[in-house]
Amino acid sequence: MAAATERFLHLARPLAHTNVGLQTNIAPLTVHIQPQAVLSILDHAVRRDIRENSQSTRVIGALVGTRSEDGTEVEVRSCFAIPHTEEEDQVEVDVEYQKNMLALVLKAAPRESLLGWYTTSHELNSFSALIQNFFAAPDTGTFPHPAIHLTISTEPGQDIETRCYISAPVAVNAERAAESCLFIQVPHKMLYGDADKSALEAVASARDLESRNAPLVSDIESLGRSIEQTISLLDRVSEWANGVLDEDEEPNNALAQYLMGALSLAPKVDASQIEHDFNNHIQDVLMVSYLANTIRTQIDLSQRLATANLVSNEKEEGKNDGEKGAQRGNKRGGRGGGRSGGQQREPREPREPREPTE
Amino acid sequence: MSEAPKDAPFQAVQVDALVIMKIARHCSSLFPTVATGSLVGMDQNGTLEITNTFAFPTVDNSSADTHQSDAANAAAAAPRAKSNITYQNEMIRHLKEVNVDANNVGWYTSATMGNFVTLAFIENQYHYQKDNDKTVALVYDTSRSSQGTLALKAYRLTNIFMNVYKEGKFTTESLQKSKLSFRDILQEYPITVQNSHLLTSFLHQLPSPPVRDIKEPSTLSDLNSDRIKAPLYPSIDNLDLSVDPFLEKTCDLLLESIESHYVDLNNFQFYQRQLAREQTKITQWQAKRKAENAQRTLAKQPLLPEDEWQRLFKLPQEPSRLEGMLNAKQVEQYSKQVDGFTANISAKMFAVRENLLPQ
Repeated sequence: MAAATERFLHLARPLAHTNVGLQTNIAPLTVHIQPQAVLSILDHAVRRDIRENSQSTRVIGALVGTRSEDGTEVEVRSCFAIPHTEEEDQVEVDVEYQKNMLALVLKAAPRESLLGWYTTSHELNSFSALIQNFFAAPDTGTFPHPAIHLTISTEPGQDIETRCYISAPVAVNAERAAESCLFIQVPHKMLYGDADKSALEAVASARDLESRNAPLVSDIESLGRSIEQTISLLDRVSEWANGVLDEDEEPNNALAQYLMGALSLAPKVDASQIEHDFNNHIQDVLMVSYLANTIRTQIDLSQRLATANLVSNEKEEGKNDGEKGAQRGNKRGGRGGGRSGGQQREPREPREPREPTE
Repeated sequence: MSEAPKDAPFQAVQVDALVIMKIARHCSSLFPTVATGSLVGMDQNGTLEITNTFAFPTVDNSSADTHQSDAANAAAAAPRAKSNITYQNEMIRHLKEVNVDANNVGWYTSATMGNFVTLAFIENQYHYQKDNDKTVALVYDTSRSSQGTLALKAYRLTNIFMNVYKEGKFTTESLQKSKLSFRDILQEYPITVQNSHLLTSFLHQLPSPPVRDIKEPSTLSDLNSDRIKAPLYPSIDNLDLSVDPFLEKTCDLLLESIESHYVDLNNFQFYQRQLAREQTKITQWQAKRKAENAQRTLAKQPLLPEDEWQRLFKLPQEPSRLEGMLNAKQVEQYSKQVDGFTANISAKMFAVRENLLPQ
């Protein structure tokens, strides 16, 4: 599933600065970004240093994820923040921190690797080039694969835009090679799988609330919500269809064809068959529910009995134990039946009365 | 949703969207192995805020070609492994440098159909809770979350259980004294989701309910190629009608529980038989000693001591009741889950029947 796609032509990517004889791939590159990475970046942006002495308005961090074998598809799975300071004429990135943190992150996710870096402004300046070259370098970066540079705008009050770049070396002259490179935009998508969907739903449920805060709801509540949503969508469709019939709305062939297609998906089965299937399934469900509750009660009882018999004083002890034995016996019978159906068990002798320990 | 007791160090758990996403991703990528990780955050005005999380390294299975169950145990025990404690401290130290809340507030684990109530879970949580009262265990149910609704629960050991566990005695006697039952082991806390302003703005850009004026498609292929994306919330994934996999899995798990209950029962019966046997022996010995002493009194010889049996015989150790309690808790968890599922699925099934039956 993809969200936030962009459309542009992307023919070939530039060669990274290679050593002679090294094979490089110039196939187009696609970047997939998982939502948790974006969330992580946004969280980092919120937590940036706003102390007076730091002039930087952006934060940077490293992208970690997987790369397909031929290197044409890249999936950004997570990221981590890197402390850095930016002043008018110099930029400092905590290289040591980056190295340690990368090692730590990779330890928990051994199949992933360093992919590139992110920052929270769209500006590409000579510092960007410097950092980009650091991340693309053979010894500290992603070489021979190109380093990916992801920019996310975090201007308050504006849409959050993401852009993705790789770079090609350009150099005005040899001395300035380190701080110049050509950024080339590459297409990227945000991907979320089925596993993320339920999590995203929970997160999105707080979207329209002033408090930005929503409780996790139980299954039945969310079912109710889904049904309401479905009903409102159906209502909308039938309203439109009625509008067309009353000649209030402009008819549309494509939509009608689509609706016909959807309606014809309803299975044609006969009533008795439905009744039969329905009964079978509902019986299964109720049976399992009943059994589960029976088992719970039995085990609850056994737990109670296990700690209850010593409370009684010694005179009653024999009697209690007798009862207990009988109850346990009953239970065992019931359980045996549930387990493998009529398995014969030899009758147990009643439990030995427990002597109080001296 | 359950209410937290008055004496708890916090009343509710507030989880950042980032944490939910990270946990969901980590747990489902490792499924069916158990995934664990650490939570960081802080507590504020009776709410425990969990603001970030990181995964623990998976246990290296290749070093020892152990049995599969051993590997599973190792994965479940990861949060208290020594290497992971160092890892956690190191990670928190690094996170502190980028202004992340640098307090450990617990750990998370993944579960399948709620099968998390195990000894390993208790030990992990005890490990965290004994040093810091304000820690919580988040349980993410991978299989149930894939059915549409996020299944994330927050648990903490109750104070009474902590005290008993500290003593390490789970005999019948001690349980009676502390009045501890399996219901008092874990306390569930309500969870709320918290988004930052920036994230709220981002979420509004993800697919949202269709706006009023959309360009009408001219052909069917147009419609198919440029679909309106379904909104994230409310999602309609939980209208799914699959019944059998859930029931099957639940039955399997229940059988497992019965099995372990049975083992537990057998252990206890074995202990009782052993105890009875030893005690008969002791009584016999005492009777014999008494008779001997009686003869000795007659023969005016010095008496033999009568309490020597304590050295001669050894009473068997009572097996721990903890396993049984956890099992009971686990079964309770399953049956609650089945109840919830039944409520859900029967509603859906009746709806389907009504729709399919000719009027």
